[in-house]
Amino acid sequence: MDDTLLKVTDLRKYFEIKQSLFSKALVLKAVDGVSFQLSRGEAVSLVGESGSGKTTLGKTILRLYEPTQGTLVFKGRDITHLSTKNLMWYRRAVQLVQQDPFGSLPYFLTIREILEEPLKIHKIGDERSRSEMIYKALENVRLLPAEDFLPKYPHMISGGQAQRVAIARALILQPELIIADEPVSMLDASVRIEILTLLRELQENNKISFIYITHDLSTTRYFSDKIFIMYGGQIVEKADTQTILREPLHPYTKALFEAIPDLDPLNVKKRKKTPPGEPPSLLDPPPGCRFHPRCPYAMDICKVKEPPEVEVSEQHKVKCWLYSQENSKGVV
Amino acid sequence: MGAHRVVRVLDSLMEVKNLYLYYGTRKGIVKAVDDISFNLKKGETVSLVGESGCGKSSMAKALMRLLPKNVAKYEGSIFIDGMNVMSLREDEFKKRIRWKKMSIVFQGAMDSLNPLLKVGEQVAEPLVIHDGIPEKDAIEKASELLSFVGISRSFIDRYPFELSGGMQQRVLIAMALVTSPEIVILDEPTSALDVITQANIMNMLKDIKSELKISYIFITHDIALSTELSDKIAIMYAGKIVELTSLEDFLSEPLHPYAKLLLASVPTLRSTKKLSHIPGEPPSLLDPPPGCRFHPRCPYAMDICKVKEPPEVEVSEQHKVKCWLYSQENSKGGMYS
Repeated sequence: MDDTLLKVTDLRKYFEIKQSLFSKALVLKAVDGVSFQLSRGEAVSLVGESGSGKTTLGKTILRLYEPTQGTLVFKGRDITHLSTKNLMWYRRAVQLVQQDPFGSLPYFLTIREILEEPLKIHKIGDERSRSEMIYKALENVRLLPAEDFLPKYPHMISGGQAQRVAIARALILQPELIIADEPVSMLDASVRIEILTLLRELQENNKISFIYITHDLSTTRYFSDKIFIMYGGQIVEKADTQTILREPLHPYTKALFEAIPDLDPLNVKKRKKTPPGEPPSLLDPPPGCRFHPRCPYAMDICKVKEPPEVEVSEQHKVKCWLYSQENSKGVV
Repeated sequence: MGAHRVVRVLDSLMEVKNLYLYYGTRKGIVKAVDDISFNLKKGETVSLVGESGCGKSSMAKALMRLLPKNVAKYEGSIFIDGMNVMSLREDEFKKRIRWKKMSIVFQGAMDSLNPLLKVGEQVAEPLVIHDGIPEKDAIEKASELLSFVGISRSFIDRYPFELSGGMQQRVLIAMALVTSPEIVILDEPTSALDVITQANIMNMLKDIKSELKISYIFITHDIALSTELSDKIAIMYAGKIVELTSLEDFLSEPLHPYAKLLLASVPTLRSTKKLSHIPGEPPSLLDPPPGCRFHPRCPYAMDICKVKEPPEVEVSEQHKVKCWLYSQENSKGGMYS
């Protein structure tokens, strides 16, 4: 049996931005031609800088946005344009954990009510079995003893604990896919690893698929089977975690690796070889390859023609002319 | 002014001694900076590293004397070039110290720049106000400085919103440098930026340091990033410096249990070490635990740690740690390994 859970094909999400009543609307291409597949129980990291379209991609997969173009197929069913009414089963199967736990948990509900709400909405269980599920969910995220937390409101607990509640809420419906959008970037360094380890454990034990959206490449090694790198609304490199860490191919990925600080006493004495400039505007991205204005290896073709996705190996795909056979200059 | 003059070790540019900054709130006193001492040599960088709520940004406010209204205690001494600037009146401090001797780069450039001033005017403003330099000359100097931080002349007539985040941060850095201070406080200068832009700004800060012989106080939550700029590193926890040493010593042999655990929790791309985390969460500064503030989370906590604040132990001339494990007073003696 095919173990593909989610298939994303040429997904695009454009936003029209009207600056004044009479001017022509500008088009912001937040996600611009993204394709990938996700297997059951697989954890993928989606890495990109701010403005790379990674959050919009997450929200489009969740169908919080309707795609402008392309298809979303979940367990063999096309959900690209399903109406809200017909999406209830999908809303149950796919859950979101957001960056700011205090923003995503309603402040006027107790933790018991927060965890009970999704069960009520999806008409799961009776009062007693719900109560059991809520205890179980809090145990799963190690908020113990559960009784102490149930009557509390979000403002009475710490950021790390609130994020655990958000995770418990996502898990309580036994989803098949969780999208976690920067789940630890607002937490303290000492708490961050704890939450990521917990997420990884829950993911492996419950065979849930995960899309971990982050700007922080250094945490992905501990969390994912595969890494996708996003730049300017597109995925520029896809590979399994070990491969990409050992051998990043896309010039942007290489730059990202170079830029990430590490614990080396020699750092003080050397400059980093990072490309100048900043990520492109999604309103008016450069023609050809979107990274070409900053790319140290840019060739003529990069300036005019969008690079194809080249399959370097079964596990490793890169959207760059340097690796394309079509490009007569050959591989660097 | 003569009364403030005290003879100091020559190469010490700045010496902070027993600095306190408490805030009064409805819930009680917040001990944000609680008896902090360190010194800074000319051309040297000290990084203050800590998690959110450890008081590191309050440190910046205390040093610059940019205080909110609810200050409950602001004491200690800050010697700059041998003069205790804490005893200066506000107007003198403003005239001689703030921006002249010591300036600051805040995080979040968009909030720190005046949206109504063009970039060139913005950078020139301190010169016009502080030094009474004619505006035309000031803008000329500003544009020189802007090109030094990588912003071309064509941008001096633009407004802040027309600049990207990285360029705005460069403008802020130029503003901090325009009055030729000896000390620049960098308060999370890159935390709102992308990693590649961050790396480019760090490169620039290194260039400035070596060309202008400036001393930085680099405030950050990111240990890995602090290695880019530090000569010395001070680890802060709950309003106190718990370990202070050279960067090399710190990376090869951290001593304080918090510092060790913090280092072990830093994810890195290039090594395959297993990550650990610190159980629990940082304490509230409203009601910190008695004794050592780290003891509820410390795997090595002893009885004394729960009741008595640890002394600052000088392990070597340049390595200080605030922990009972290294103290001779601690009868159990001996260090753990």
